[in-house]
Parts: sequence; C-alpha cells; structure tokens
Amino acid sequence: MLNNWNDTAPIYRQLAQQLAGQLLDGEPKEGQPMPSVRQLAQQYLINPLTVSRALQSLVDEGFLEPRRGLGMYVTEGARHRLMQSERDSFLREEWPVLRERLRRLGLTGKDLNWENA
Amino acid sequence: MMENLIDAKNVSLSYGRSKKAVDDVSFTLPKGRVVGLLGHNGAGKTSLMKALVGLKGVAGSLTVLGRDPAAQRSQLLTELSYIPDVAVLPRWARVSELITLMSGLQPNFSPERARQLIRRTSVGLNDKVKTLSKGMVVQVHLALIAAIDAKLMILDEPTLGLDVISRKGFYEMLIDEWCDGERSVLISTHQVEEIEALLTDVLMLDEGKLVLNLSLEAMESRFIALAHDPEAADEVARAHPLLRYRSMGGKPAALFDGVPPAHLEQLGQRFRPSLVDLFVALTRKPELAPRA
Repeated sequence: MLNNWNDTAPIYRQLAQQLAGQLLDGEPKEGQPMPSVRQLAQQYLINPLTVSRALQSLVDEGFLEPRRGLGMYVTEGARHRLMQSERDSFLREEWPVLRERLRRLGLTGKDLNWENA
Repeated sequence: MMENLIDAKNVSLSYGRSKKAVDDVSFTLPKGRVVGLLGHNGAGKTSLMKALVGLKGVAGSLTVLGRDPAAQRSQLLTELSYIPDVAVLPRWARVSELITLMSGLQPNFSPERARQLIRRTSVGLNDKVKTLSKGMVVQVHLALIAAIDAKLMILDEPTLGLDVISRKGFYEMLIDEWCDGERSVLISTHQVEEIEALLTDVLMLDEGKLVLNLSLEAMESRFIALAHDPEAADEVARAHPLLRYRSMGGKPAALFDGVPPAHLEQLGQRFRPSLVDLFVALTRKPELAPRA
C-alpha cells in the first residue's frame, strides 16, 4: 500500500511507464494538460523531484511538452508514437519469450481464444 | 544568501566519557530535499537531530539555517519545524486550544494555515487530544508544525507505532502540504522500505558514523545488484560483494558498490537494489547476518 514499486527499474522509470500506459488509454488526451507535479507526487506518494524526472523522461521521448507557465501537455501524435514504441518493444522483448513458451507447451494459433471469453 | 539549510562539519557528540553517539559526521542539506536519516536503534539518529536543534552541544562545526544551534537555540526553534522522538501533545487540550497555544509560542505560526491543515484530517477543532487515536494525534502534530512558516522540518521517527492507514495519511500531508521544492525535511525512521519513494537523499548512520550520504539518483548508478543462478554462487562470492541475499523472485542475489566484474555480469541479471538491501549491507549487525 505504501510501496508500489518493484526492483526492475529506478522508480522514476516505473512512474514514467505507468504514465505512458495511461496516455495510451487517452488519459489525458493529446493537447490536454498533465496533472501537476504536486498532484502526481501526492497521488503516488513520491517526492516531487522524482515526479519531475519521470515527466522529463516523457518530454525527452517526445510524448509531453512543457508550456511556459502552464506545465506539461500531451503532444500531438503522442498516442500513435507510444503505440508504435510499445508494439516495437513487445515484438522485441516479450514476444520471443511468449513464443518460446507457446512452443514448449505445443500451442498454436488455433488453440488460442482470440475473442473475449 | 544562505546556500545550505544545514552545514555539518566533523560533528561529534558524546555522553560522558563513553563512546561517541555521533562520530565525526559531515554533511550538507540544501533546500527542496526530502532526506531520510536511517539507522538502527542507538545508531545516533536522535542525538544528531537534538544537536541540529541545539538541544545537545557538539564538537565540530554545525550551522543550521545560518545559526549556531547551541548558541542561538531559542531563535532557531522559532525558525524550524521539529517533532522530537518523545513528542506529546497535552491530553487535556482541545485542538483549537493547541492552535491558540502555538500562536503564543511561535511568531512564525499561522493559525489559519493550521486550521486548513486540520480540515484535511478526520479530527475536529473541538476534539480533545485524549479522545484521539495515536495516528490522529500525530497528524494533528504535523498540521501544527507544518503551519509554521519555516524552511526546514525535522521529524524524529514520526510514524513509529502508527498503523498503515495513519502512516499513509501522514506521508500524504507531508508531501502535499510541505514539500514545495523550496522547503526541506529531514526525517528519521527505520521503516525504510515504505519511505524510499518519498526521499530525494539518504543519510545512513551506523554506531554514530555516517556510512552513506548520497542522493537516490546517485544510488541508482552507484550500487548494482545482480540476480544469479545458485550454481554461480561461489564465483560471485569470490568477487566480494557488499551483501549476498535473495532477490524478490527468490533468486540468489549480490549487491555491489560499483560495477560488478565483467565475467560476473554474464552469470546474472542486473536489477535495482532497494534501499532496504543497501541498509542491511551497510549497517549489518551480527544478529542480522544471513543464516548460512
């Protein structure tokens, strides 16, 4: 409850990934403002410096842009580019592991339920 | 303009002739930081905090908010927010009376701000301290000292003995109402895991000595943990890591100060060492040594 972080990456990276996941779901939408550093700090119980680092890394990746005096905004096209980068990383990192597991279990495409349960 | 809120150089403190409670400690605390003071019981946390607010004299050079704490204690105490380890609020008093009391004692105290902070909690202004739970009392205490217009807050084990909901409420108020990028807080605790994400920096005391003083950002790049297969254990041990333990997934792991030797990197997988692991590695007492 007080510690939602794991040991895979620095906390600011984990926060950046969570925020990126929300951007992918359209929260907030492109062109809309992000919550303030203070709001995020309180929501996630993280010090404001770490929140700023997480936001800055999303700026560096082009998903957010600072507007003078107004805070961070979601850039135009952020969702599309996020989707692209998530797809790339799935195909590069997760898919080979998943494919190997499917092979080991002898499962093929037709064994899998592609519709909702 | 004052650069650091705290400037300590070779600070030592001893009780009588026995060994030093604080032993040659040097550090600075700039503005806008959330600094954790970590250590086992008896490591010197409380002694150091008392020295910072002028309640204990020290050898060495100590400046807090530009003042000499021992010489200018009464002045200093009106300029910072402090919750001592033995904090108590008078049991007979109502919260509103405490606010009146603070207004009389503290020239930099804002009653409006205190009332506003109390409204965040489930405590009413007319409640008497003796009817409140321990968690509520600590929240009231934080609200009272956060209403002082100060640059520095010093909290000695503020959440000791509180349940998880109260601790969360306490940290929420601290982050939301105090940490504004300008003000700093020094907080001692041994609930290391839950405070890690709140901190910008960590000071670690062991038997009076400062064994670690760095930012969490620097910690990420300096200390590296490696999870490895059990078969690699002997190889890893030969590289003398700071600590060998088990990672979250149950795999054997080793913690290194700096980059582990290249031949080991191939035997394992890097992961983020937690502050707790580092705490154990740097302040290990015999009774905490891993069971063979």
